[in-house]
Amino acid sequence: MRSLDRLFEHSTRSLARRTSRRSLLASLGQVLTGAALLPLLPIDRSGRAYAAEGKSNGPESCDYWKYCAIDGSLCACCGGSSSSCPPGSVPSPISWIGTCHNPGDGRDYIVSYNDCCGKSSCGSCDCVRNEGEKPMYRPSRNNDLNWCMANTDSNSYHCTVSVILGVAGK
Amino acid sequence: MRSPLLFCVALSCALPAAAAPATPPPLPAEHLIVERLPARSPHRVYLFDEMFDNETDQRVHVFDGDSYRRLGQIDAGFYPSINLSPDGSSTVVATTYFARGTHGARIDVVEFTDNSTLAVTREIVLPGTKRAQTLPTLFNIAFSADGHFLYAAYVTPAASFGVLDPAHGTVLGEIDTAGCVLAIPSGPNRVSSICESGRLLTVTLDAQGREASRAMSEPFFDADRDPVFVQGIATARGYAFLSFLGDVHEIDFSGPQPQIAPVWSLVSASERGHWRPGAEQVGAIQRALGRLYVPMHPGGEGTHKDGGTEIWVFDLATHHRLARWPVTSQGLTRVVAVEVTQDSAPLLFAATDKADLAVLDALTGRIRHVERHFGQTPWQLLTSP
Repeated sequence: MRSLDRLFEHSTRSLARRTSRRSLLASLGQVLTGAALLPLLPIDRSGRAYAAEGKSNGPESCDYWKYCAIDGSLCACCGGSSSSCPPGSVPSPISWIGTCHNPGDGRDYIVSYNDCCGKSSCGSCDCVRNEGEKPMYRPSRNNDLNWCMANTDSNSYHCTVSVILGVAGK
Repeated sequence: MRSPLLFCVALSCALPAAAAPATPPPLPAEHLIVERLPARSPHRVYLFDEMFDNETDQRVHVFDGDSYRRLGQIDAGFYPSINLSPDGSSTVVATTYFARGTHGARIDVVEFTDNSTLAVTREIVLPGTKRAQTLPTLFNIAFSADGHFLYAAYVTPAASFGVLDPAHGTVLGEIDTAGCVLAIPSGPNRVSSICESGRLLTVTLDAQGREASRAMSEPFFDADRDPVFVQGIATARGYAFLSFLGDVHEIDFSGPQPQIAPVWSLVSASERGHWRPGAEQVGAIQRALGRLYVPMHPGGEGTHKDGGTEIWVFDLATHHRLARWPVTSQGLTRVVAVEVTQDSAPLLFAATDKADLAVLDALTGRIRHVERHFGQTPWQLLTSP
């Protein structure tokens, strides 16, 4: 949870820095709805089950539900998982977000897409899905930007994870 | 097999020794040189390869659309932005290098390449680590119309742009854009940025590249209902921006403030939402002909980066669709980038999601040539302005 809290904090801070007040309120309201429910978040059981059953539709598959607005290499194929960076890489402190439907429980979730940074392109499991993705004038929903941009040590792009922030509000 | 062999053996035995084929003279010694480029042609294309699997080593391939030869390469570093000078004589690459190859200290730099030699002739080191690392548009790095200023888009993710002096190789300053992104150049000293509100922020610069004034346009799109691609397409007097659903927003940037023309659509009412534009470089305009070329595909929300299964051709004056060129039925995969030459015998270049580069007759759609497996992810094509 600590890492989730940290990721959520960074996402919120990054939204505040880069968006207009009006869009900030809209996006923040959406994320805060999820934040309020963070303690109730289900463990990602469907992902683990899929992973145990094989790659099809699991975290190493582009079809996996959490990847609905991703554009990059799946960290799950690069030594990490759908929510962890591969060893030796560094998570981006800022991210874009998506709203993905989990068929396992019928809920929509706010998902943070963080890049893992500091190594060259993983190049495995390239995955491009753009549900709700917007151009870079709405950066909180844009997956074209290199979200390693704010990493101070090295901002080369390695792969992308998909971290549940919370249940999306209606 | 046996009798011909016996025949040959018998024949060679019967020939006098003087009739044996003479040993050819040795090949002359060679002298290592550097190849010279042919003179610049309107049919030369600069193909940007984003190198998705090796992103610290991106590059621009230079290709001739008449001889179908690869002429050379311009190295482009990590997450670069590419453009040509207004006269086409140089390529500008704004990019990032790391001290240890893929990691280590980051330096952002703008490099100028002479398009007659492909040698790097100058660089400008950018301040800090602000340069926008994003996918190709014409507005990540862009010259003023007279080439006097060069504008570099910054995203940290706070948005601004840098003003550079390419003649003297200096950084003149930075203009905050209040959350609006990219640097759309117009005239000798104006820069517009696209805002989430659907408006354009236009900053006018003084002779030293400092902000003299700024103004905001009326909104011309709705980012929630139907966002526009940021990959604007150069028209005779400005740029056209396509929306995800296929609306065309033509904007005249020739005056002090942008003039927004009435919107029109690429699709009919029955096609809307079912057919849509989609690509990394989502359109090209042949300005003399007044024709717009758009990769189109059948698909719903979230498919705006899926390449075109067809290229649709429109008349910009009448807004009529002139042709549908079904490229995937002619052996190509989805088209992810298009560009057209501006000469009187224009070529349309089309890059695919399998990294093929097709050369088409821009008047008829006939595929003249396909260069297979041209790099990894060719996402932008540039031809001489």
